Amino acid sequence: MDKDTLINTYFEGSLTESQKKDFDHLLETDTQFAEDFEFQRELQKSLKKEERKAVKQMLATMSASEPKQETKVISLRPWLVAASIIVLLGIGSWFTFFNTNNYSTEELYNANFVAYENVVHPIERSAELEDLQTKAFTAYENEDYAEALSLFKTLQEKNNDGYIQFYEAITLMQLQKHKEAVSLLENYIKADGELKDRAIWYLALSDLKLGRIDESKLQLQKLVSLNGFKATAAKRLLEELD
Amino acid sequence: MEDQQLISQMKKRDRNALKDVYKGYKSEFFRFASRYTSDDVVLEDIFQDAIIVLYENALSGKLDELKSSLKTYLFSVGKFMIFKKFRDTKELTTDEDYVFDRNEITVINDVYEDDGPNEYQRKVVENFKKLGDKCREILELFYLEGLKIDEIMRVQGYENKNVVKSQKSRCLKSLKDLILKHNG
Repeated sequence: MDKDTLINTYFEGSLTESQKKDFDHLLETDTQFAEDFEFQRELQKSLKKEERKAVKQMLATMSASEPKQETKVISLRPWLVAASIIVLLGIGSWFTFFNTNNYSTEELYNANFVAYENVVHPIERSAELEDLQTKAFTAYENEDYAEALSLFKTLQEKNNDGYIQFYEAITLMQLQKHKEAVSLLENYIKADGELKDRAIWYLALSDLKLGRIDESKLQLQKLVSLNGFKATAAKRLLEELD
Repeated sequence: MEDQQLISQMKKRDRNALKDVYKGYKSEFFRFASRYTSDDVVLEDIFQDAIIVLYENALSGKLDELKSSLKTYLFSVGKFMIFKKFRDTKELTTDEDYVFDRNEITVINDVYEDDGPNEYQRKVVENFKKLGDKCREILELFYLEGLKIDEIMRVQGYENKNVVKSQKSRCLKSLKDLILKHNG
């Protein structure tokens, strides 16, 4: 095999063991060979880096032309940042939705209900934390709601963290058990839970689903006056219900 | 869009495929990665790097028989980089992650550590652009797209491998000369 072919075969990634030996030997003993190879390797790196630069520039342009998200939330805890992204996404879909009119409460519910993201117990899957809570939130994230519900119920008995009530309620909503969800959400709101405003939104949606329009409106008005989570969405839903 | 279609577009260096991947998965990636960091600048950078890795591995034919979805692959690359960034190795692999082979990890590390061309590499590129179309094409096919000599022969319709080889050698020589002239 001539030297050029040896170098080409290197770049093609198909040197055999004995060719590899020849290659290494030449690299050490033949300066012309080493120079030729080095030049080609440098060319490859240069071309790759150039291509990467071009792709990055293209993507950066796309990123710059995205509509800026209005994140006015300043002192939120880290997990709430995740939540605020969902809110913004929610608002986006809202506008699309309301370009057309006259939806039934059922349709309004379906357009608005999205299970709340697990923000309290990030699942670190490989960590040896196969505790109950991890199992429950794993089931929740995997949309295995029947399993999640039974695990949340067990958790409730052992652990009084309010947010479990909140997630249990969302799980119940997923399982179309809105009456049970309402009572959990009401408890959670009464206890002034950390995700209270979220709970109010889901309570409004549950009421909507149950056809309790006035109750639903009441909750939506609370959100509007809190002027935080889902305030815009609540306002629009109110207009639609009127 | 179908994964395989995106991959075959990437193999043709069709950048629209990269745009589609960017648009299609960005918000989901940010949501997915927000549990590791909330720094949007870091996430943007890693997401773009992950797309480049996807692109380069598609080019080299690594993804021809992809065992997972394109999304799983992309997100696994991103996650790998996030852990690299935060020096946190305890969670490096999980069940649902794609398992990369040595070559793939080399590409990930290479893209991750790429801080742009150095002075010599910039000079190489500058002079490369001065070459004729035919030379740029053959060199890009070989060094950038990873086509083998006989593949180039077939794709470009050369009579035989030796013609490709000597054409490539001539092009390398021209490039070297240009760089020398530029230096002198």
